[in-house]
Amino acid sequence: MSTAVADSPIPASDAIGAVMQTIRNALGDVLGLGDVAGAHLVGLSSDMAIMSMLALSAYLMLLVGRVSFGQQAFFGLGAYAAGVMTAMFHAPLAVALAVGVSLGALCSWLLAVPTMHLSGLHYAVATLAFGEIARILLGWWVWQRETGDGPVGPAGIDGFRDIRWLLENDVAPSEFLVLTLVLLVLVLAMLMRAERTRLGVALRMTGHDDVLASSHGIPVARIRQFAAALAGGLAALGGGLYAHRTTYIEPAVFDPMLGVHAVGYALLGGLGTALGPLLGVMFDLGLLDASRLFPGWRMVIFGGLVALFLRWRPRGLLDETLVHRLNGFRFFAGSVRAASPLSSGASNPPGRKEISS
Amino acid sequence: MLELLQLTLDGLLDGSAYALVGLGLSLTFGGLRRLNLAYGATAMLAAYVGAWLHARHGAPVWLVAMSVVACAALIGWYVERLCFAGTRDETIRPASGPGAPVAGADGREVVALASSFAIWMQLEQLAVNLLPRHLNLFPSLAVERNWFVGELMIRPDRVVLALVSIGLTLGLAAWLERTRTGLSWRATADLGTAAHLVGMPVPKLQTIGFAVACALSGIAAFLVLSLDGQVTPMFGMWMLLKGLVVAMLGGLGSVRGVLRGGLLLGLVESYAQALLGAQGREFATYALLLAVLMWPRPMREERAVSSGVTR
Repeated sequence: MSTAVADSPIPASDAIGAVMQTIRNALGDVLGLGDVAGAHLVGLSSDMAIMSMLALSAYLMLLVGRVSFGQQAFFGLGAYAAGVMTAMFHAPLAVALAVGVSLGALCSWLLAVPTMHLSGLHYAVATLAFGEIARILLGWWVWQRETGDGPVGPAGIDGFRDIRWLLENDVAPSEFLVLTLVLLVLVLAMLMRAERTRLGVALRMTGHDDVLASSHGIPVARIRQFAAALAGGLAALGGGLYAHRTTYIEPAVFDPMLGVHAVGYALLGGLGTALGPLLGVMFDLGLLDASRLFPGWRMVIFGGLVALFLRWRPRGLLDETLVHRLNGFRFFAGSVRAASPLSSGASNPPGRKEISS
Repeated sequence: MLELLQLTLDGLLDGSAYALVGLGLSLTFGGLRRLNLAYGATAMLAAYVGAWLHARHGAPVWLVAMSVVACAALIGWYVERLCFAGTRDETIRPASGPGAPVAGADGREVVALASSFAIWMQLEQLAVNLLPRHLNLFPSLAVERNWFVGELMIRPDRVVLALVSIGLTLGLAAWLERTRTGLSWRATADLGTAAHLVGMPVPKLQTIGFAVACALSGIAAFLVLSLDGQVTPMFGMWMLLKGLVVAMLGGLGSVRGVLRGGLLLGLVESYAQALLGAQGREFATYALLLAVLMWPRPMREERAVSSGVTR
């Protein structure tokens, strides 16, 4: 992270925009100062890791067969909660993140209980409405506290400034990147590990066919609520990290575009394995945005590609079939074993045809 | 008391405009059982083409209006081909083959949602590339002089918009109920397989219905924007969200429900704005939507699912 970003509030209207702004600053500087290139690569990687967490939270919801356009609300909640803890109460980062994650998980679970019985479409709209309500409420939230240098805290629509824990504790951007990556790897390991358990199979079964799953004795509603709580916590973790990386957050950052992008990454990358969403993030942020191949036309090309792509691969690049085919490669073995009992037995994913023929 | 009356009046007038915005979205859902996220972007790109014609080529108002509607229908056709044509075939024949939709009822819905979202991004970017400025001039039909009934203020242009909106909605409902084409459209919407078995060209009807719905969104965009006299890149999002709330309130897929939903939303927003300010207006919209969605079943889903397009 560059200090220039830390000092100036980011005018972009969403986190994606903020991320892009950072990247653009990065590339602009690289041309002049070769030395800075490494620093900005670090920044870009941190952003990608943070977005990956949000994308993974959208992936978890997709896994149980629900689209959520409201994950940005939990991302925002986590960001605000973690920011309040460190900037206003001088808590250590770990405590702040833990508080954010618990709050995100709790809120997500509370939302899931009354909405999860809705059909997929109604649920998607309900989460969208919830996300917007959360954004507006954050815009009303004013809570300042006197600290050493002036009042600090959420100031409604003007946002929340000076979340300077990283600067105060001399955490270098590269150290922050390592922290973020370690957290991401832990999350990934947990998810891929979980796919091999009965719980993981239950999650995937619920997503494929909830009627069939419940007739097999799987408590579909509870499984979905559990997945929602997990996804909320995960999004909040990303949000907490995001708040500390940018030092400034405002409600406008957490608009529906952010959540919808997260869903897009998960769908593009694939629902076959937890690595799918990461692939989506890398493709969009890492390749298309950072390389600036098509300035001004990026969304035109990207949007068209995604739509065409989804027509032929409705479950993304790394879908269950491909993951299954990669069976021979040890690397994917973790997810494959979870996917295969389903492909051959309980449900009817696209992979079944290849197996039987 | 007078203020309350004024608020109610404003709310009703705004609400009938909202009904027009939601009409196309509800019709699309009725026909395909899919939500078109590119709905707002379609209308926005069409409006941008109109604004571009007006600003760069000095096109007269009637030409702008016609081109907006035509463009919306054309873009709608493109969206349907790309996002929805592939995901709806299973209404006619069982899904199979490598392009088969995902197992589970919601899988196909998810795919249509996601790909129409991608197209939304694409259309929005195209519009911004066409006219890069944030604020763009749109041919204005706003009337400066207001009417006064006693002390109530009425904007005549709003009244015209409300009348057009109510007329279009009721006309569409009557057309769906009375004509043969309307009947076949309803049959397609209710039970695609049965309609196909008795020889109706289901995919063709769905495509036509989609394009008509998008043309309606073009009409809505033109009328709403011509009262504002300007168009911004936020318009697509505005149109989608208002349309979604209205369509949901009225029961997705119901044409006359759109009118009810629009009026309800208009009233609630008007009161909320008076009580809580501009942010409160937005808040009320979403709170209302969430409340309706969480409402115990009887009202909402039966109407949306079992009664097809009209009622």
